[in-house]
Amino acid sequence: MLPELSIRDDLLNNLRAAYARMWVRLRGANRDPTALVAEIGLPILTIGAYVILYRAIGFPATAGAAVIIGGAMIAFWTNVLWNMSSQWFWEREQGNLEMYLVAPVSRMSILLGMAMGGGLNTALRALGIVLLGIFIFQVPFQLKEPLLVGVVFVLTLVALYALGMLFASLFMLYGREAWNTANLLQEPVYFLSGAYFPGFYGPIVPLAIQAAGSLIPMTIGLDAIRRLAIGGGDISSVWLHIIALVACTLILFPIARRTLNYMESLGKKEGRLTLRWQ
Amino acid sequence: MAIADFVKSARESFWVGWKIESNWTDPVLFATYQIIRPLASLMIVGFIVILGAATSQYLAWVIVGSAFYAYVLQVMLGMAILVFVDRNRYEVLKNIYISPGTLHPYVIGRGLVSVLNGTISVVLTLLFSVAIFNGLLHMNIPLDLLGVNLLMLLPAVVLGIISLLAIGYMLCAVNIVSNRMEFILGDSVSGVFFLLGGVIFPISFLPEQIQRISNALPVTYFLNTVRESFGLLPPGNLPPGNYMSDLGILGLTTLAALILGVSVFRLAERRAKRLGLFDRKSEY
Repeated sequence: MLPELSIRDDLLNNLRAAYARMWVRLRGANRDPTALVAEIGLPILTIGAYVILYRAIGFPATAGAAVIIGGAMIAFWTNVLWNMSSQWFWEREQGNLEMYLVAPVSRMSILLGMAMGGGLNTALRALGIVLLGIFIFQVPFQLKEPLLVGVVFVLTLVALYALGMLFASLFMLYGREAWNTANLLQEPVYFLSGAYFPGFYGPIVPLAIQAAGSLIPMTIGLDAIRRLAIGGGDISSVWLHIIALVACTLILFPIARRTLNYMESLGKKEGRLTLRWQ
Repeated sequence: MAIADFVKSARESFWVGWKIESNWTDPVLFATYQIIRPLASLMIVGFIVILGAATSQYLAWVIVGSAFYAYVLQVMLGMAILVFVDRNRYEVLKNIYISPGTLHPYVIGRGLVSVLNGTISVVLTLLFSVAIFNGLLHMNIPLDLLGVNLLMLLPAVVLGIISLLAIGYMLCAVNIVSNRMEFILGDSVSGVFFLLGGVIFPISFLPEQIQRISNALPVTYFLNTVRESFGLLPPGNLPPGNYMSDLGILGLTTLAALILGVSVFRLAERRAKRLGLFDRKSEY
């Protein structure tokens, strides 16, 4: 029988696993410059269409700035959907899932590694989208508290990727449903998060849509970042957002852990953990 | 290959494609899936137009453009991923290729599944748009679904679909000879069409040099002719389009896309055979 690991060694093992998963993700996503260029350039096409639409119907230039930030945040949502939520599906298709399951580490550390790698990769791309958007569309920003923007941004990512971990657990046994569900969660979330609107929490967006959108951490974070970066706001304008983002993380993370354990156990019972081509 | 054989192969391919795309869930959920994406996109634009206090005429113009853009999305995304899925995931591309003369009808059949999905999206989006904007929000948008001129709509849709399938053919060709483009190609091409095809704003709002590219795209004329068949005028003080002239240019650009699509596909097919790419797998 193998000796039992101390808590410290166990923690180190899990952190190593998370780092290893992050490293694979970073290497995998950045080895192809074409993909990097496309991932920065592609969102600009859609962003451009909305910026032109805003200009066409006489909105101020700040609406364009809001769309650029929204477009950059959408990159994170796309990453959460395709590289977190659907990831166990891809891994199963490629035969890696069973290796994760027999490894002597928590599955959460694998998800954490995916989240860190995905978050860093997407942050690079989001920065590119914002800079390219500003360069092409010449929209104004009014940034007074860059540090606070950074804090809100990191809190948003943590909450968003906690949601990604939950989805990854829920999608664990999916076959083609994983693909289709990820597809399904794209445009509706663009709408509900107000990513392409000049503002979300205000009299112009119906209350029911605001309420539904607030269930997505990106909506809250996006609104806070816009208030700080475009409206020139300070902590007094975003403290509620910060509390909400922390609450989202504290709620979503344990739920993700429990769901992952449940789905893994269900998969074992039903023999679906290694099932391919569903 | 006899036409009857081609049609038979395309029909079988269509049936396989339809099963793959639809039988992962029950029909109600599948229909919901088909409607939610385009409707959400439409709601984004609809809200922006409402926020901007633009005219209901502009909203009708946007609704029809966005609804029929579903064809572009479905065909581009469906055909861009087809080779990857069949080569990497199901590992059947080589089997299809070695069966006598089945690759071309296979691609066409699978493309037609995207067309069917697009048709479902278009019809449901139009119905829901009228229900939401006229029924729920009482906006009185000038969109009469029963008043559409079918004699004008049908040729426009048929030519538009042929042009999209021809472009989809090119995407398949690119994917046969590459193994890194499948996830970005469909989005890239549909993104270009969204920006340049006059989906949510008239192309005259684009910079003049870029308008020249828009003027060479079949999607631009597809959406123009579709809107004209609904009797919709361009927003603002822009002059109304001429249906026959738009249809003529749509026919010409479709023909050009068709020739280009088939030529590119044949080139890719030859190159793939020479380099042994039909069974090349890549993992991430």
